[in-house]
Amino acid sequence: MELASKLETNFTMVGDGGTAACPGDGAGAGDAGARLPRRIVLLGNPNVGKSALFNALTGLRATVSNYPGTTVEVYRGRLSGTDTEVVDSPGLNSLLPLSEDEQVTWDLVRSVRGEEGEVVVQVADAKNLRRALLLTLQLGQLDVPTVLVLNMHDEAEARGIRVDLQGLEAALGIPVRATVATRGLGIDGVAGALPLARPPRNHLPLPDAFAAPALALLNGQDARPAIPPAFLARYHESLLAYADGIARRHATEADSGGAHLSRRLGRLAIHPVWGWPILAVVLWVLYEFVGVFGAGTLVDLMEKRLFHGYLNPWAVALFSRVPWAFPRDLFVGEYGLLTMGLSYGLAIVLPIVLTFFTAFAVLEDSGYLPRLAVMSDRVFRLMGLNGKAVLPMVLGLGCDTMATLTTRILPTRKERVLATLLLALGVPCSAQLGVILAMLAALPLSAAAVWLAAVAGVMTAVGWLAARVLPGERGDFVVELPPMRLPALPIVLSKTAARVEWYLEEALPLFLVGTLVLFALDRLRFLEVIIRLGEPVVKGVLGLPAEASAAFLIGFLRRDFAATRLFDMSRGGGLDVVQLVVAMVTITLFIPCIANVFMIAKERGWKTAAAMAAFIFPLAFGMGGLVRILMHAAGFQGAP
Amino acid sequence: MTTPPLAPAPGPVTCSLCGFEYVPGGAACREIHCPIALGGCATRHCPRCGHTVPDEERSAAARLVRRLFGPRAPRAATTLADLPSGSFGVVAAILGDPGLQARLTAQGLAPGVAVHVVQTRPTWVIEVGETTIALERRVAEAVRLKPS
Repeated sequence: MELASKLETNFTMVGDGGTAACPGDGAGAGDAGARLPRRIVLLGNPNVGKSALFNALTGLRATVSNYPGTTVEVYRGRLSGTDTEVVDSPGLNSLLPLSEDEQVTWDLVRSVRGEEGEVVVQVADAKNLRRALLLTLQLGQLDVPTVLVLNMHDEAEARGIRVDLQGLEAALGIPVRATVATRGLGIDGVAGALPLARPPRNHLPLPDAFAAPALALLNGQDARPAIPPAFLARYHESLLAYADGIARRHATEADSGGAHLSRRLGRLAIHPVWGWPILAVVLWVLYEFVGVFGAGTLVDLMEKRLFHGYLNPWAVALFSRVPWAFPRDLFVGEYGLLTMGLSYGLAIVLPIVLTFFTAFAVLEDSGYLPRLAVMSDRVFRLMGLNGKAVLPMVLGLGCDTMATLTTRILPTRKERVLATLLLALGVPCSAQLGVILAMLAALPLSAAAVWLAAVAGVMTAVGWLAARVLPGERGDFVVELPPMRLPALPIVLSKTAARVEWYLEEALPLFLVGTLVLFALDRLRFLEVIIRLGEPVVKGVLGLPAEASAAFLIGFLRRDFAATRLFDMSRGGGLDVVQLVVAMVTITLFIPCIANVFMIAKERGWKTAAAMAAFIFPLAFGMGGLVRILMHAAGFQGAP
Repeated sequence: MTTPPLAPAPGPVTCSLCGFEYVPGGAACREIHCPIALGGCATRHCPRCGHTVPDEERSAAARLVRRLFGPRAPRAATTLADLPSGSFGVVAAILGDPGLQARLTAQGLAPGVAVHVVQTRPTWVIEVGETTIALERRVAEAVRLKPS
């Protein structure tokens, strides 16, 4: 209470003082508050609370879109009660672009530079002035009107860091404001400072060797300037050295001791010993929330109650009035766009995606996500990936189609292809997992261990080999670990909503296309042919009854159907232990569904998708056959 | 007829306790009444003071134990990967891939900056000012340190 009120007065004071003390020629100071800019671009280092400030400024009415021609998320909204557009850019560390994310921000900043009435609001972590100033100095070199916002001022004060805001304003020649965006403190001050924005003062004594090329690059007209990276490092060094001087003059150092709760928690989460139990608990909660609640409870509710109970019968009833069989089958038949495609995408995948993105936003905002990558780095390095791959892989346990979409977060093409392959091959989606777990329950522990060993072995071997065969390099594993924080519910919800919208746009059409292809195959009697062709393989190689061929194929095409087929077969006592394990291994290694193939094609191209399918299906059958031979040799037999 | 192959005749060693120079095995062993005085075991007895030490030239186990528990040989830390957890160092230069150099410098890891190594397992975690960065061995080896 006391702290909050103290902060509040502190902020008002800073805001007023800032306006009066704003340096420069004073031309803009007179009509302060009179003219708001047309557009504000929020910019800053990662994890400085940009999203929180964005939400505080816009009041949570954001739309998310991919920046044209990229996969980078850009949030847009309007400054509360005004027409001013607010754009939230991805976090970046330098304005000379290195990654795709930074390229997007670079383009946004360039668009601001030339325009009247557009300003950049640089959000900085008040605790880490030095790094923020690197960006501020670059904005100065670019001549971009800027307001500097020192966010998370409360955390800085708690660490004993005091920033001389007025001194900083004088040194940089721009308005500097302090905020605690998550609690809405100091937001009015930021809005009030917008008309005062001006280019940061720039008398950076860059060595001549760097100054000219840097300015040329910053001012360059090329869409994607070719920058020699070796030069960039020198440039950053000289900027940092200068920023360091300013930071030293206007901010005190942090108290060295005093391990605060968030700091301790952050270290505990990656502790060589205690990190593991914490990881286990997090993964368990994740599984309970996404796997049990989302893929179980919610899917049941949506699929059985809503779709099978109401929507599908309604649609069937509606279409029964249509006199022609063709449109009837097309929309509500066995492979109907509504009864299969839409209920697949909305009833089965949407709940998984919804719960996963909620969990993802919580992990992201709490700061645990990069720590998860740290803990799992070793495992993924075995497979030629690194810790950053943990996210798509975990999502794959929910839905491989969605997970394939999120492999975009991986830095190199090689890693994206590798992760896509391993997802399709070895990570069972919730549908496959459901059948597998039900069958596992009927098996002795030793047989279950055979299944696990076979799948893990194939994953590691294929990952290891593919990492050597595929051209290109694995990206370096460098991840910044933000402090652990309590996620703010409104931000979690708005992120989740924006991403679910994205799913509906990107993945849902693929479920419809997949259904359409099935419908066509069924009409042309192709399905029967494929099932017939598969029978000798299923019987001869896998030693399973011929009916299993239909189960495998339909399993690839329709999840609900295959689950019951194979499960019924095993429950009826038709399969012995070896047959069960063989069936499980083969199902796990299969590509989960046809939508996944379409997603691979969409993300990686048709050639890659075809190559992967041509690799995975024979491998799945071959591995099933191998397991059969080995298990017979090891003396497994009889009914479970 | 066939005798087990013997280890090559050992040269004289110096007792680390009393400084006496002796040839281990054989007479030296019998002299102190070792019950298994075979001349081939992996311990050495000083015939003057009786100080007994494991013969690391012969015993892989003794070498392993020393490596695991023995005092670390003071090695000059030349890169970040050489620093034990909890220690500090000052960056001299960042080598290797220029793209990596540019990224690290943008994150504040630049020559002249003090680095605190928080831990080295499961990966390296370092603190640079208020920034915490996790990196793999390959990257840690690219960060060259100033001699302390």
